[in-house]
Amino acid sequence: MRVILADDSVLFREGLARVLEAAGFEIAGQAGNVEELDRLLAAENAELVILDIRMPPTQTDEGLVAAKRIRHQRPQVAVLLLSHHVESHHAIDLLSQGTDRVGYLLKDRVSDLHEFVEAVRRVGMGGSAVDPMVVSQLLGRKRARNLVDDLSEREKSVLAKMAEGLSNDAIATALRISPKTLEAHIGAIYSKLGLEPGGSEHRRVLAVLNYLRSA
Amino acid sequence: MKTWQRSAFQAIVLAIPALVCFVELQQFWPPTFDRPPLIALDDLLPGSAFTLAGLIAWSNRPSNRVGVLMILIGIGLLLGTSPILLQPSPLAETLTLVLGNWWSFFLVVFGSLWAVALLHLLLAFPSGLLGSRLDRGLVAFLYLAVPVLGLIAVVVTLSRLSGMTGGDVVVRLEFLAYTTGALVYLACLLLGSALIVRRWFVAGSARRRSMAVVIWSLVPIALAFAPAHLARFFAADASSTLWLELAKGSPLFLAVMPAGYLVAMLRSTRDLTSIADLVVKLSNGLLPAELQPALASTLHDPSLEVVYWLPTLGWYADLEGRPVSLPAQDSPRAVSVLGDPADPIAALVYDSSLRDEDRLVDTAAAAVRLALENARLQVQLRAQLDEVRQSRARLVEAADDERRRVERDLHDGAQQQLVTLLLSLQLAKAGALDRSDAQSAQVLDESIESLRQALAELRMLARGIHPTILVEAGLLPAIRSLGERCPMEVEVTGEVGRLEPRLEAALYYVAAEAITNAVKHSQGHRIRVDVGRSSGWASVDITDDGVGGADVSKGSGLVGLSDRVAAVGGRLDVRSNQSAGTNLHAEVPCG
Repeated sequence: MRVILADDSVLFREGLARVLEAAGFEIAGQAGNVEELDRLLAAENAELVILDIRMPPTQTDEGLVAAKRIRHQRPQVAVLLLSHHVESHHAIDLLSQGTDRVGYLLKDRVSDLHEFVEAVRRVGMGGSAVDPMVVSQLLGRKRARNLVDDLSEREKSVLAKMAEGLSNDAIATALRISPKTLEAHIGAIYSKLGLEPGGSEHRRVLAVLNYLRSA
Repeated sequence: MKTWQRSAFQAIVLAIPALVCFVELQQFWPPTFDRPPLIALDDLLPGSAFTLAGLIAWSNRPSNRVGVLMILIGIGLLLGTSPILLQPSPLAETLTLVLGNWWSFFLVVFGSLWAVALLHLLLAFPSGLLGSRLDRGLVAFLYLAVPVLGLIAVVVTLSRLSGMTGGDVVVRLEFLAYTTGALVYLACLLLGSALIVRRWFVAGSARRRSMAVVIWSLVPIALAFAPAHLARFFAADASSTLWLELAKGSPLFLAVMPAGYLVAMLRSTRDLTSIADLVVKLSNGLLPAELQPALASTLHDPSLEVVYWLPTLGWYADLEGRPVSLPAQDSPRAVSVLGDPADPIAALVYDSSLRDEDRLVDTAAAAVRLALENARLQVQLRAQLDEVRQSRARLVEAADDERRRVERDLHDGAQQQLVTLLLSLQLAKAGALDRSDAQSAQVLDESIESLRQALAELRMLARGIHPTILVEAGLLPAIRSLGERCPMEVEVTGEVGRLEPRLEAALYYVAAEAITNAVKHSQGHRIRVDVGRSSGWASVDITDDGVGGADVSKGSGLVGLSDRVAAVGGRLDVRSNQSAGTNLHAEVPCG
């Protein structure tokens, strides 16, 4: 899978490149700012862009703006946005444009290389990845009439994985349960929360996040 | 000029109309029904009126040329003969009897100068000074041209009469001289009229007011002269018509102008009475805000402004304490500085046309001086308060900038370097695993874990210093984000849109502090945050269902919050009682 890296720190880019190359990705190019990124996107036939939310010149949300633009202009390119801190607002903002080929993760996720590489691969293959911190914050929110509290611990774990963008297979593997049991958990979650069942594994990410954020 | 000299001069000037009247009225003695002495009025009245008004004006304001000009016009009318009036004055007739041809010569050469003086007066009234270069040029040209053309006319006419050789040429020369003279006078008359009209239209309200009486007196003069003299041409053969009578009587209307001047003088006396009214108002106590309107109405200049000198700040300010700069020298606004110029109290800024009435302005200024000094104290307080307010706003803004800078330094520095280090450790661990060096891999794993915790703590720290979401997405997402991290239930409602960064920061910190306080002290379960924006104000309202008891005066973070909100021109209300929890309401002006 051909990947473009965009981050204004050369050292971080180099480190990330080596980690991803070791995991079998092909680095199509590296960019230090949005203009370089645009040039690379036009020149290289990349499938995935990994970019930092803060980039020159203002170091605020250039990366976020660029990510939304790339998803609009080149829907076939997957985009993974990295940041030193994550906000549910940005996650929903990104996913609202479409829940496939998109990811939003904390930079420190590289502390667990296996999970990080899995998330990168998931996004590159057309899925989505929402940082567990966004999900746990929303899941832990205190609510007036807290339907989430009615869920069992196992069901909560399943809900969290769903919100992170994992597929059923991946959830079953991660939680070491059978696909059958998982189906049962998901059914229970939908009915307890009053959510409309159905929707593809990608689409449900936004529905679950929106539910957790607004309920 | 010494007093006795002046008195002598006035006596001589006064003697002239007296003498003329005496000579003229003698003809009507003894009076008969066919020739009543009244018909001598049109000969005597205009000249006498100008002379008398001129004397009054001159003794009133010796430095103003208006008086002298009027005296000259008056004597000119009494002595001279004019192409406009087309009749010799009575004194001229008498003098002709005495002096013969020499007097005729004098009259032809100088007899029309009074008309030039009249134009001079119209262009220079009321200051006595000619404004534009064109005004000065025209008047100077006429003063020179009238005697010169008169002299030429005398020379060529005398040549013709004495029957000098080349009679044909002389006749043609005579014709040429008269025609040229007539054309030049006509052109000057038109130009002069245009200049007078222009002067009226460019004049400010105060100058128009003082010009009015003289300018309006031109209307009856023009109305009487024009038809009367046209009639002279077209009805020349008619022995006696109404128009001819009117033409004979038309000089009478010239007397309107000196009469107008006297009215204007009376009115400026009345202006002095209005200063008396001002003084009465002052003694009844005028608020500082009422000073400017009172002065404006006394001086008849609605555009008048009072500005106060602030010695501690070193600039002029208006009543609200806002800095004001005085108009430049050549601007259409005039300035009177009150008090010692090195340490003034205040200054009056007014339409420059009021300069003509400097005595009136000075008197009014002297009357309000004490009140202005009192008002200045108030203005100075306001200005200083404003300064303090601004400096507080600058301090808060500087502190916010500093927070942003520290957060960015953390982000670009420590956070980025630690994450990069995390990657290096991961690569090292991968290498160790490749070498089946389980011990190193174990150590590296531990390092990675503690580094991850360090990063998490650093993230919390950076967020506390300055939440980037506030800049990235605005107040509402930032408050929602606060709520998502809060151990109590937080319900966020309303909509506010994007605001100026300093306003977003002020309202954000109110919400953040209120939520923190509620979690720490309220013992409640729920927090409601409502943001809103209406009629130029953005607000945030935070209510908890706890035990209440928050008190701004007890020196919690609430005092700092209140200062912070005030620094951007807003206000913070805290309501907290034992039964109903705590409510904070902050609102800031957002234009």
